[in-house]
Formats: sequence, structure tokens, C-alpha cells
Amino acid sequence: MKKILPITNAIIAVISGSFILLGYFFPGVFGGIQSTLIGWAIILAAFALLLGIFNLAIVHWKKIGSEKSSNINSIVLLTSMFITIVIVGISGPTGSWSLWVFNSFQVPVEVSLLAVLAVVLVYAGARLLTRRPKWYTILFLVTVLLVLLGSVPLFLIGEITPLSIVRDWLAQVPAIAGARGLLLGVALGTVATGLRILIGVDRPYGG
Amino acid sequence: MDQVLSLLNSILGLLFILLCLGLILFYLLSDHSRAKLNLRGIQAFSHFKREVDLAVEAGKRLHISLGRGNINDLQGGAAFIGLTILDRCARAASNSDRPPVTTSGDGVITILSQDTLRSTYRSLGTMERYDPTNARLTGLTPMAYAAGAMPTIHDEQISANIFAGHFGTEIALLTEAGERNRSLTVAGSDSLPAQAVLYVTSDEPLLGEELYAAGAYLGAGAAHSASLRMQDIVRWVLVVAIVIGAILKLLRILP
Repeated sequence: MKKILPITNAIIAVISGSFILLGYFFPGVFGGIQSTLIGWAIILAAFALLLGIFNLAIVHWKKIGSEKSSNINSIVLLTSMFITIVIVGISGPTGSWSLWVFNSFQVPVEVSLLAVLAVVLVYAGARLLTRRPKWYTILFLVTVLLVLLGSVPLFLIGEITPLSIVRDWLAQVPAIAGARGLLLGVALGTVATGLRILIGVDRPYGG
Repeated sequence: MDQVLSLLNSILGLLFILLCLGLILFYLLSDHSRAKLNLRGIQAFSHFKREVDLAVEAGKRLHISLGRGNINDLQGGAAFIGLTILDRCARAASNSDRPPVTTSGDGVITILSQDTLRSTYRSLGTMERYDPTNARLTGLTPMAYAAGAMPTIHDEQISANIFAGHFGTEIALLTEAGERNRSLTVAGSDSLPAQAVLYVTSDEPLLGEELYAAGAYLGAGAAHSASLRMQDIVRWVLVVAIVIGAILKLLRILP
């Protein structure tokens, strides 16, 4: 049984993957089975999400049990999770109470984290020269400065046209060329990863 | 006419996939793959290997973050590389007192990371080390995911963080947490904004296709080396095709 199950998993994965791939190229022939399989995958993903949330609750329940100073975060998380589940369960996912929870807690916390992110990025940019003191770091920082200065009107001066022209050129020529090079590598890597799973030599499903 | 072009497009796409598949199988099955693959040095992987050894000796933990990509679309590709890295880490740290911990922002990736840990420990014959709470879902939105993963970096005696998956700019918060914790951060993503942020914030950023070479560099098997060879060949084919296309367009032969 221990050997049969992984082989069965692999066979199911290879057959399903092949049908879904063929569905992209020949939607007329394989489109139906492709959408059915994707539909099943979406249902399974929803159950996986529930299991993930259950896992999150268990992790924090265990943390409360351990005697550490950081378990106050876990208490807050479990309490807010319980209250949110109750409120959304009663009010419904788009009910007024659910939206109140979302708009009053989730949105402000995420926006404040975005603000922290902006500060972190500025700090990291300033620290880059000590982290990697190379010529290309200087080039990177000069480019960032040029793009920033070319993107916003300056105090008392307004927009500087030459800087805007340089910004446009940087964004449209070298940046696009570099981005396409990176995306080419990412696309080939994704194809290779998908094919390894499709032929069953890579089995992330525990096969 | 449109139908013919669409069919031609599909056939060309399928031929491209078959070419890639053929090259992987060729290198996987031929004697070429048995010869040692000459890999260019990527500092991130050599530092990572050293850090894994140090973590085992020091009794510290490795943190593998798999991002918040959904496997139902393209973003899942990077997360699968993260799972390969997780497998290698779990094997390398099999003697350690503290097994690796993973965080992710998607339910399916969480289940797959639990499954990867389970099958790795099963194959090593150390199932008693498997703990499903070592593979955690930390949040479902980008910021919630980052906020949920940061305490793991701070509280779990992490010596090295490996970020491999789909991230956005929120990864800066995670790399910053690693920096504050004085732990090494090796990070790669399929997303361009995340790669730009990683260049600035990570100790060892993996740019472009470097993340996808992780399996070959960490010794995950002949299939990873074979697919790396395929990527090298197809990349050159595409580069030549792009250059020829640009020349033909410059000469106004192509519209």
C-alpha cells in the first residue's frame, strides 16, 4: 500500500496535468475536461484554505501553551479569529458587520504596514552602499534618484523637462529590456518546473 | 483566417513545449547527464549551504518562506522550487535538534509543504521528527502574510531565511526582520517588483532564472540538472530569434 499510493498519486497528477496542458492548446477538444479538472482543483483549494486556517489556530494555541513572552500575539490572534468567524457567520461575508470588521481593523493595519514598508525601503536603499560597495550599486542609486526627480514636480522649481525625458528613456528602454530578460528566465524556469512535475520526476505531492 | 492563425499559434506553442520536454528527457536519459554539470558560481547557494551546516551545528533553525502564490496559476511555479528547497533543507538538517519551519500565504502551498516534510522524513526513516505545525499558513493577504511570518523569524532562533516563491514588495518587511535578527536571507521570486526590492534588501538575492536553478545547485536530482541544460539551450534559441527579429524589423522586412 505504501508503494501503490505514491504511484497512483503520480499517475493521477500526470494524466490531469496532461489534459489541462492540452486544453490550453486545443480548447475545442480538451476544453471541457480542462475546466472540469480546474473546477475540482478550486474546490480542493478551498478545503486546503480551511485546513490552513485550522493549522494557524493550532500553531497559536500551542504557543499560548508554551511559556514565552510573545504569546500575547497568539492570544490576540485567536480571539480576533474567533470573533471574526462569529461575526461573519452571523452577518454573512458581505454583511454590514463583516464589512465593518474589515474596514475598521484589516484595512488600517494593512495601510500602516504599507507605510512601514516605505520607510524600510528608503532605509534599505540608503544602506545599500555599505552592503554592496560596487560600481553597479552607485549606478543603481543614481538611476533611482534620476527616476524619482523626473517623476515628481520639485518644490519651487516644478517639473524639470530634461529629467522627465531621461526618466521616460530609462523606463522605456533599459528598464523594459532588463525586465524582459528577467521574465524570459522566469518563464523558462516555470516551463521547466511544470514539465518536471508533468513527467512525474518531481513530485511535490508526496509521491 | 483568425481560426487558422489561432490553430497555428496553438501548434507552435505545443511544439515549443515538446521541444523543452524532449530536451529534458534527452539530458535525463542520455549519458550527458551523468557527467558532472559545470555550474557557474552563485554566491547565494554557496552561502546557503554553509549556513545550513552552521545551523545544524549551532542547533538553530532554518526558515523557508514559500510566498503566497496560487498553484492554479503561473505564480505556483516559484513555490514548487521553494518546496524543492524545503526538501533539501529538511534532509540537510536531519541531524539538527530543530527541524526547519516553513511559512506560506496560501492554503494549498501550506498543505504541500506539510506533505513535502512528511515524505522527506518518511524517506529518511525519521517520521517522529514530523510536526505539521512546522509548516504554517501565516496570512492570506500580502501584508497579513508578512505580518504573520515576521514573528517566526524573531521568535524561533532562525539562523537563515530562504524566501522562494511568489512575493510582492511586502517581502522587504520579511528581509528586514531577517536583518534585524542577524540571520542570513537568501531570496528569489518570480515577481519583478519583488526582485527589485530583494536587490536592495536581501543579503543574497536570486534574480531571474537563478531561483529556478536551485534544485540543480542543491543536488535535488538529475531532472533538475537536465532541465537547467534545457533552459540554457532554449534561452539561446530565443535570444537568437529575438535578435534576428529585431534585425528583420530594422531592415523593414518584418512589419
